Amino acid sequence: MTTKEREAILAMLNSAHVTEPTRRALLERLNARYGHEFFDEVEFGRLRALAVRLVPHDPAEMDLAGTVDHRLIVGIGDGWRYADALPDGEAYRELLAALPEGFETLNGDAQDAAIPAVQSSHPHAFEDLLAELTEAFMAHPVTQYRFGYAGFADAPEWPHVGPNELEPREEAYGPR
Amino acid sequence: MAPANALPTDLDVLVIGTGAGGAPLLARLAQAGLKVAALEAGVRHPPEGIATDEVAQLGLFWTDERLSAGNDPVGFGRNNSGRGVGGSTLHYTAYTPRAQPDDLKLRTEFGQGEDWPLEFSELEPYYDELEYFLGVSGPENYPWGPQRKSSYRHPPLPLNGAARLMQKACAEIGMKTSPAANAALSRPQEQEGYGTRHTCTNRGFCQAGCSIGAKASMDVTFLALAESLGAQIVDGAQVTALTMKDGRVTGAEFMRGQELEHLSAKTVILAAGAVETPRLLLMNGLANSSGQVGRNFMAHVGMQVWGQVDDDLRPYKGIPGGLISEDTHRVPGLIGGYLLQSLGVMPVTYATQYARGTLKWGPELVQHLRGYNHVAGINVLGECLPYEHNYLELSDELDGRGLPKPRIHFSFGENEKKMNAHAEALMRDLWGRIGARDVWALPRAAHTLGTARMGADPETSVVNPFGRTHDIENLWICDNSTFTSSLSVNPALTQMALSLRTADALVEGLKQA
Repeated sequence: MTTKEREAILAMLNSAHVTEPTRRALLERLNARYGHEFFDEVEFGRLRALAVRLVPHDPAEMDLAGTVDHRLIVGIGDGWRYADALPDGEAYRELLAALPEGFETLNGDAQDAAIPAVQSSHPHAFEDLLAELTEAFMAHPVTQYRFGYAGFADAPEWPHVGPNELEPREEAYGPR
Repeated sequence: MAPANALPTDLDVLVIGTGAGGAPLLARLAQAGLKVAALEAGVRHPPEGIATDEVAQLGLFWTDERLSAGNDPVGFGRNNSGRGVGGSTLHYTAYTPRAQPDDLKLRTEFGQGEDWPLEFSELEPYYDELEYFLGVSGPENYPWGPQRKSSYRHPPLPLNGAARLMQKACAEIGMKTSPAANAALSRPQEQEGYGTRHTCTNRGFCQAGCSIGAKASMDVTFLALAESLGAQIVDGAQVTALTMKDGRVTGAEFMRGQELEHLSAKTVILAAGAVETPRLLLMNGLANSSGQVGRNFMAHVGMQVWGQVDDDLRPYKGIPGGLISEDTHRVPGLIGGYLLQSLGVMPVTYATQYARGTLKWGPELVQHLRGYNHVAGINVLGECLPYEHNYLELSDELDGRGLPKPRIHFSFGENEKKMNAHAEALMRDLWGRIGARDVWALPRAAHTLGTARMGADPETSVVNPFGRTHDIENLWICDNSTFTSSLSVNPALTQMALSLRTADALVEGLKQA
């Protein structure tokens, strides 16, 4: 993220428009870096490469693969899994292992070409991983800023809720 | 003086669970002078600690893993399962339509499904009482169902972008709409036992918990009242077993932190919801002489259709379910019917649903999500019949406490498939009329219902029409597991009505004893 983006995000998060619990959660996420504890070096390299193709992002500014690894270490899930699927961590390992040899070193087009095969051989793991990465992406303050999303800045009320009835703080947040 | 975390003794009634099933009766029983307490697996979530962030709010949901089987596996957790003082009402959308009288008589009307062992007239006074107590906001004249005795306590909440688009589209095809009934305040209200509840600030994060107490979750309404009357709530207490002696239940064993503890009571009421209640009964081999515990699991038909428009809608603002139509309450060719509602949505919920629902990835996925501020949704909530093939059982896989994880089998039947097809076509037509692009449909099932149904016949039901188990005289069930059919409306208000009715029956029975 650029310096300008980071400053704009911090200015909003530190403003009176954001409640304290919301600020705490988003500031922590803005700076979170996890690395890998659950996956080994090779698995994590593949996961990171796959994550970049599934949900295009710069791993240097948001650590989506690390977020998945961290979640598996903490052990909190989303409350359910498909009965015929392995537990999340094992299912993801199988999915990663099913990618072609050297997947992480292929160019983007070659990686994309390899993805449909693992999607059809491991449909539940693919869906779960895609959803988990998408969640981490959409919940990240940088994404929210770039998409002009200001819903977290709700410490004052939203007096107008109709189409195109924006508050100044909503209009101002995001790339111009 | 006893330490603050000391367990109560000499309890008349112990309630397990503090959601829409457990909370109203806890207050009612305390009001009647009974010594009552509740065990709650989750912890307290005071409004001022609630973040406007879905990931940070995961703690409101039941995240212990459940196994989903069948042709249409149900997603749990964020979809339908709460955890905390207040249960699932912490994250419900506060959408409170009443059931209609014919919802209770499906078998009589269609020869399929089941009739409830009670009449609408038995629920009606409780609906009246609840709407006033909770502070439901709604239209002056609600156009469907029997004539109401009085208007809703507060005027309707403002309509957000999706609601206004649905209003316009429905008007084009002559479909009647109305502002919905929502248990969120359009004016401040004094709440007995709690204090002032403030007006809704139009922050559309109801499903991630209300940060100002405008939404009538149980913690700021019935539980506050119950505690002000002396009821005790033991939170962070996961029940692991019911204890029995001579055919009567004597209390419950629970884990609090690493400690295994026990509470005794003369009567126990299970209000843990349609998954945890049958799970506990099956683990203990209780109340199942009918073989019906875990059977007839139901989840509402909940098809959603989404699209994007040029207008800047900001779907994070306004009550998510602002506009309703019950014109599809009966549709030729369908058993039962459905209602239509507009949908606001939080960003992460929208994004993950889009990913799961379309399996789109790469630049296409990100490009779509970039349009979040322009997203408008519409959905249905429809009847799901009870079926032999939909049930809950204990799996061999153990959870962190060494207890078997539940496995829930769910497949739509013919009626649900027809209803989905009908609803999808209707909603696509409506969203076509507002010029929505990138329209996509998400078939889904919402709410957990059934698994310990009520009925007059002990051969085919688990509890009697008031919620007492047929098998164990002092064990009652009061939660969505006792629903005989799913009803074609959101379950919370009816659940609370059943809860007050159960409390009144219990108090009456104690008087006579």
